[in-house]
Amino acid sequence: MIGLLCRIYSVMLFAYPREFRLRYGVEMQQFFQDRCREHVRAQAGSGAWFRFVLRNIADWVVSTMRERQARKLVQEWAVTLLMFLFVTTTLVQAYVVPTGSMEGNILVGDHMLVDKVGFENGGSNWSSYVLPHRDVKRGDIVAFRYPEDVRQTFVKRVIGLPGDRIRLENKHVVRNGQKLDEPYARFSSSGIDDYRDNFPTAPDFSTLGGGRKMFASNVQGGEVIVPPDTLFVLGDNRDNSLDSRYWGFVPSNYLVGKPLVIYWSFDAPTSDYVEWNLRHVEDVALHFFTKTRWDRTLKIPASQPAQ
Amino acid sequence: MPKPPDLLPLTPPVFHILLALADEERHGYGIMQDVARQTNDGLQLGPGTLYGCLKRMLAAGLVEESDERPDMELDDERRRYYRMTTLGRKTVRAEASRLAGAVSAANARLGLAGGKQ
Repeated sequence: MIGLLCRIYSVMLFAYPREFRLRYGVEMQQFFQDRCREHVRAQAGSGAWFRFVLRNIADWVVSTMRERQARKLVQEWAVTLLMFLFVTTTLVQAYVVPTGSMEGNILVGDHMLVDKVGFENGGSNWSSYVLPHRDVKRGDIVAFRYPEDVRQTFVKRVIGLPGDRIRLENKHVVRNGQKLDEPYARFSSSGIDDYRDNFPTAPDFSTLGGGRKMFASNVQGGEVIVPPDTLFVLGDNRDNSLDSRYWGFVPSNYLVGKPLVIYWSFDAPTSDYVEWNLRHVEDVALHFFTKTRWDRTLKIPASQPAQ
Repeated sequence: MPKPPDLLPLTPPVFHILLALADEERHGYGIMQDVARQTNDGLQLGPGTLYGCLKRMLAAGLVEESDERPDMELDDERRRYYRMTTLGRKTVRAEASRLAGAVSAANARLGLAGGKQ
């Protein structure tokens, strides 16, 4: 009993600053051991042992905080905080997927880090000298600001680069006259909606602003022609995706980056990720282990070229 | 070297640790036992609190480490003994008289003096 308590205490000593531990650690251990022996000699009951343990825990908490003292504590956390701020503002951004528009490859509730420098164009930014980067390719999954509401971040797949001619023929993408075989695409309904599945042959001017603009100035011969410095993106869940078909092109400076890694995937409905609510916090607390999709942890959402 | 008034008021642990060292040199565990006796178990110092106080008291020059080992036979050689310095003695006296002043002021106001309660 004493041996175990003393061993636990000697581990707890590591919470003290190094110099303090080196100078007083041995004495404190001895002190603690003496105190334990005294309790044994006095044939202390379980209540007394319990109070003894609690009192020592309290002593430990208070004195470690005191010894680590504001100065040290701030120093240690300041470095961590600065690194965290640097990393989260310039290198990566955490992002939760709220909708199923990429279903099949990216699920609702995937928490991912987005690499913010991966697509910086060469030379224009200091980070391009330090970090690997490349141009956006067709088939890349990208995170970007939703042009109709820049506060929202969307994740979709790049289908068209500037100059590409795009149309859909019964749900299948035809790019520059060539029908694509897209292994990543999912179709959830068999019905044909001309606007959605034979795009852009059935213009609907009740669509969103960017979409109307696209129909007005970028459609030629039944095809959309992607203008310079923009991207044409589609969700993998083709029949249920609010994408370039409805709101037009993504200006390339709206790109946030490419999904780097899914660090946590939690099975909860879209509404929980759109608006913060207490029920969701409770859900996570109670069902963390059962509703986490463990097989998705550390999955990398890969870009995939169409054939 | 600080003067006693600069160090007042002392915190209860520091005050009682100094009192414990007033008549003899003690090691940490001995200090804790003596403080418990002084206060009728009202103040039971834990190791973190005790050695944290000793560290600051050493730095302020109120106590010093002793090279002597008063009861050698009984003891583990890892123990260190602490002794009160002259500054420590002056400081604890100053604190005691400060407390005495405070207590008599309280007694006068609350009508507790002279066993009237």
